[in-house]
Amino acid sequence: MNSTVSSPEFHLRYSRKGKLRVDCAQKERTIPVFLTIIAILAVGSFFFLDISWGKLLSRLPGIGTIFWKMMHFDISNMNLVMTSMMETLSITVLSTLYSLVLGLFFGMLAAENIFRLRWFSRLIQCIFTFLRAVPTTIWVLLMMVCLGMGPAAGIAGLCVHTTAFFTKSFAQSFESIPAETLEALEATGVGRLGVFLNAVLPSSLSQIIAWTGMRFETNFCECAVLGMVGAGGIGFVISNSIQGYDYGTAGIAILLVFLFAYSIERIFVWIKKCIR
Amino acid sequence: MKKRIPQISHAEKRVYELFFICIVILFVAGTVYTKFNPMLLVKNSDNFWIFLKEDFFPPKLPKLSKINNIMESVFVTVTMAILSATVAAVLAFFFSLFASESVSPLPKTAKLVRGFATFLRNIPALVWAFILFSSLGIGTGVGFVALCITSFAFMVRAFAETMEDISRDCLESLQAVGTSFPQRVVHGILPSCMSGFLSWFLYCVEVNIRASTIVGMVGGGGIGLVLFSYIKSFKYHIAFSIILLIAVMVILVDLITSYLRRELNK
Repeated sequence: MNSTVSSPEFHLRYSRKGKLRVDCAQKERTIPVFLTIIAILAVGSFFFLDISWGKLLSRLPGIGTIFWKMMHFDISNMNLVMTSMMETLSITVLSTLYSLVLGLFFGMLAAENIFRLRWFSRLIQCIFTFLRAVPTTIWVLLMMVCLGMGPAAGIAGLCVHTTAFFTKSFAQSFESIPAETLEALEATGVGRLGVFLNAVLPSSLSQIIAWTGMRFETNFCECAVLGMVGAGGIGFVISNSIQGYDYGTAGIAILLVFLFAYSIERIFVWIKKCIR
Repeated sequence: MKKRIPQISHAEKRVYELFFICIVILFVAGTVYTKFNPMLLVKNSDNFWIFLKEDFFPPKLPKLSKINNIMESVFVTVTMAILSATVAAVLAFFFSLFASESVSPLPKTAKLVRGFATFLRNIPALVWAFILFSSLGIGTGVGFVALCITSFAFMVRAFAETMEDISRDCLESLQAVGTSFPQRVVHGILPSCMSGFLSWFLYCVEVNIRASTIVGMVGGGGIGLVLFSYIKSFKYHIAFSIILLIAVMVILVDLITSYLRRELNK
């Protein structure tokens, strides 16, 4: 009985004043170390960046003025705003759908448990890691050089990044499927494709939907942004009207972006609830 | 007579059919509206390869005097991302205490704080950058503020959800013994949620690295600005090597953060 008390893990500890110490003996060291490192990095970058804070602070009231100006909505350009909003939405939908199909295909190739070619999966993963690491805007700029201005460049550029994202996340959810399931199907003589369609796809469906929803939201935001580099859509209207001091139009465009982004978020929350 | 047993329930099947029809309608509507034709991409691929071969390959190094400048702007981008994520995380922690109904001492304000964060979050970082540029001028500081706003809003939501997931029972028992709100935060919330908070913070750093490159493009300073100026002046060879540099930077940060996340979850 006594052995548990006198074992080294449970010996009583006293503080210097002779009181019983109640804090945890085996403290987790990772988090404090981590926090210290972050703090050091933050202070270091604070001095490195050398931002003139005084100037920035003195101009802060300007934000209020801008918002005040934007609140005076100007509906004279409503037509333009609506058409570019539609364009943005269709770019978002198309780029998400095309890359969903591509992502499923490449995700299948990149998952190590479906095609048992290790080097091939690794190769695909490497390629898509590179594609993912380059920001979307750069892809759109490159596509614009080849396809010209307009929605086609936006769709193609977004597709590159989104496909890369889907490939990685789908491959991860495919790989998390227990090997027993696959083995059981294979034992009954199902081919590779059959295993994929009947076991892998259904069991990762909810994850796929969650990833797609998340990416759809991101793509909408990205898409609203892409117009600013010249790929059409609402971003072009926003940047153009802010640069032309036409704050009323910019205000209404930004409000629309906000409303759509918010409703997309709500819809996907609802869909996730439905599926559960 | 062949009668098959349905593999999934009827109601579930109807939901999936409905989804599928919705998606097809959206797809058709989008295609008609933008007149996008994927064949166009295949048709123009010659153009694309020629462009890649002649204008991009091989990546060329800029002049030696410029390299220093470029490396410094990479550092600016990274430090901007880290600093904005850190500042936003500290602010977001205090705000998120009031954003989750089970934790907040004033449950009625929870909706208000959440609504505010939702508003900030649903406007993309680049739009924020544009709004701020027109009021604060151009520069690294403004890029920093724009990144701060979006990551702050994102983390308020993420932190609030982490707190709601974990600590209801623990908080209740702490409350039952009569602790005050700050004590509950320090002894109840922090120990159980810290690793969750930190992994969200790491995710935010990753996102910010990408975003700060893009915000830099429109005038926020850093590597994005350098890249954009090279693309604008048609020096694609040098632009390509900068793109490679950005890719290396992003991959390195991703590797570091995923390593740290594994360490945290041990």
